[in-house]
Amino acid sequence: MILQGLLFAMFAGTAVGCAIGMVFHRNPVHCALLLVAVLLSISGLFVLLNAPFIAALQVLVYAGAIMVLFLFVVMLLNIRGESPLLTTGSAKGFGILFAIIVFVELLWTVLSPSTELSAPTSMLPRGFGSPAAIGRVLYTVWLYPFEITSILLLIAVVGAVVLAKRKFL
Amino acid sequence: MPAAVIPLLWFQILAALLFTIGVVGVLVRRSALVIFMSIELMLNAVNLSFVAFSRQHVSMDGHIFVFFVMAVAAAEVAVGLAILIAIFRNRDTASVDEVRLLKG
Repeated sequence: MILQGLLFAMFAGTAVGCAIGMVFHRNPVHCALLLVAVLLSISGLFVLLNAPFIAALQVLVYAGAIMVLFLFVVMLLNIRGESPLLTTGSAKGFGILFAIIVFVELLWTVLSPSTELSAPTSMLPRGFGSPAAIGRVLYTVWLYPFEITSILLLIAVVGAVVLAKRKFL
Repeated sequence: MPAAVIPLLWFQILAALLFTIGVVGVLVRRSALVIFMSIELMLNAVNLSFVAFSRQHVSMDGHIFVFFVMAVAAAEVAVGLAILIAIFRNRDTASVDEVRLLKG
């Protein structure tokens, strides 16, 4: 419990710190690298939650594929840090106010006594969160959504190619 | 091996915090690229919440949902960055304050 608490504190601290850094950093490349740090710490949290397959997927898909896409676009377009970092005018104050309202609302929901739950059990079924167990559920109960996801990805590929073509917009 | 017994509440509060940071990024930044990154951050906060509830209820449906969220996020990033490239090619900027064709 002590070790797990320490690991949780470490991953959570890294995630929150790097997330704040990402939002307020000027250089887009640094923003992308800070986002990688956030994603890797969330992957560590997934391991703490007995979800090894999701943790591996997080590293592969997010920290691997999606971040490379971001870095490609930064370097392809040669985007530099914009001179006023934040939006100007009333949008900034309104945005921060709105974010505070969202946070209070989320905390209210999380801390409300109606969602009182017992401590998570330490007795897990064998193979909980393993690739084999997830695959069994995915290819039986969730087969149709899984197949529809492949169509979605195909549409995304076609859309990305068409949009990135010259003289489109 | 004893499994993790970190309370669900900790993960929920962390997810709320990360989601809020993502909201701030979307609402406050000017660079469309960083706005995309903030959206990824919000999706990840929700994923963390899903997995935490999955652990609490000893059900793997949350893991499956995270899988689908990741697939949708990958599709969203591919299309979104393609749109960003198209905008940058025409307007030579990635700032959302400059691109306001629909604003009138």
